[in-house]
Amino acid sequence: MRAGTRNFLLGTLGIGLFLASWETIGQLKLAGISWPPLSAVLEMMADDNRWPLFRRALGATLEETALGYVWGTGAGLGLAALAHLLPPLRRGSDRLAAVLNSVPSIALGPIFLVLLSRESTPAAVSSIHVFFIVFVSVSSGLQRATAAHRDLFAVLGADRLKRFWRLELPAAMPALVSGLRLAWPAALIGAIIGEWFGAPRGLGILIINAMQNFQIVLLWCAVLLAVGSSLLIYGLLTLLERAAYARFG
Amino acid sequence: MTAAISIDRVSKRFPLAGSSEGVLALSDLSLGIGTGEFVAVLGPSGCGKSTLLRLVAALEQPTGGTVSVAGEPPGQVSANHALGVAFQDHALLPWLTVHDNIALPFKIAGRRADEAAITRLIDLVGLSRFTTARPRQLSGGMRQRASIARALVLEPEVLLLDEPFGALDAVTRRQMNVELQRIWSARQITTMLITHSVDEALFLADRVVVMSGRPGRILCEVAVPFARPRDPLVMRSQDFHRMVDDLTAALETQEGST
Repeated sequence: MRAGTRNFLLGTLGIGLFLASWETIGQLKLAGISWPPLSAVLEMMADDNRWPLFRRALGATLEETALGYVWGTGAGLGLAALAHLLPPLRRGSDRLAAVLNSVPSIALGPIFLVLLSRESTPAAVSSIHVFFIVFVSVSSGLQRATAAHRDLFAVLGADRLKRFWRLELPAAMPALVSGLRLAWPAALIGAIIGEWFGAPRGLGILIINAMQNFQIVLLWCAVLLAVGSSLLIYGLLTLLERAAYARFG
Repeated sequence: MTAAISIDRVSKRFPLAGSSEGVLALSDLSLGIGTGEFVAVLGPSGCGKSTLLRLVAALEQPTGGTVSVAGEPPGQVSANHALGVAFQDHALLPWLTVHDNIALPFKIAGRRADEAAITRLIDLVGLSRFTTARPRQLSGGMRQRASIARALVLEPEVLLLDEPFGALDAVTRRQMNVELQRIWSARQITTMLITHSVDEALFLADRVVVMSGRPGRILCEVAVPFARPRDPLVMRSQDFHRMVDDLTAALETQEGST
């Protein structure tokens, strides 16, 4: 426990130093005028008049991210399970996932824009990011059952589906939850990139607008909102991951 | 009387990279186990005794000869959910409680769990206070008890035990032998036990089969004369010691010659 306390103290010290240097660099204009002091950013964040704008942008982006997250998770989990149960599909699905991942999302955006609509492009780009991470983690998780467990199921006369539901899927839970944790920040990035293709609102739009109008403090506020909300959900997913490892690991 | 387990002139060859012949693990081996009989297979490590059990468990296919359980091929018996097995690795599912682990064979067989049978077995193996515990909360000996209860819960035609106590310390192992003897006496299921412990084989089995090293053959067989149920004190008797010495000598000459 002592190592834990020390890590916590060191972590707090590190974050404190980071925030203090942010403030100092901003105050002394060491990095020019595009680096505002932290206090200025926080001041704008605390401004009630700004919050309707923030709330609308954050709400839109979180909604797109959540939608992409759910669709991507469903597709990744579904394809990984299908490929696992039907071995002839395995190679093809691995390739498909690899190809999808190697296409930069900035190149996918226009395609979605044509295929779908401006409103659904952020969720679509987000779901592609999530799909790949969940597919890879579940595919490897499904291989995780030990040889002794496989032997046991074989001797007990389990068919492929019973083995999947009662052994392989539970054994893949820690890998799935690890994938879900890593997929959230990727989903948020996907949604923000997707917004740049002309979504009506969102953090991505706020970032672009603030940048083009040289509203540096507003730009930093948007970034801070994106990072803050991402970290919060990432933290919650880390707790979920710990629970999954304790239960299924 | 038809044998419950019949191994007839079986050989098993494993492929080996860089060798066209592969490795001959078992050669022309025949062994019959009668209904309700407890046979221990004793042998030096690497003699193919675990391979023999895996053939009966339908986890491997023989290269030559036939294996049958109650007149059927092992794969058929396994598909009928009529095999019980316990390995050196307890193979309990870490996400299930003791109760749910023991109920697992019912779930796999697609039958409704017989709660009365499960409770009786949990009592029999002395885990009634731990039904809701998870495997990681149990000691090594308790995990093996749960694993044996799971092997018995469907009342299998044959019970296959592959060094179930091999990973336990000497004291726990002896206790587990005494308990297994008690549990088995209550059921008398046809059992094949793979072990390298002479004491364990003699205390538990009706018949001890000694195997030779690579390729695995049967070297000799010894009928165990001690009456059941067996008192642990039997292990201190003169006869027991003499038999231990004889079997150990048989194993040693074997190991020396290979």
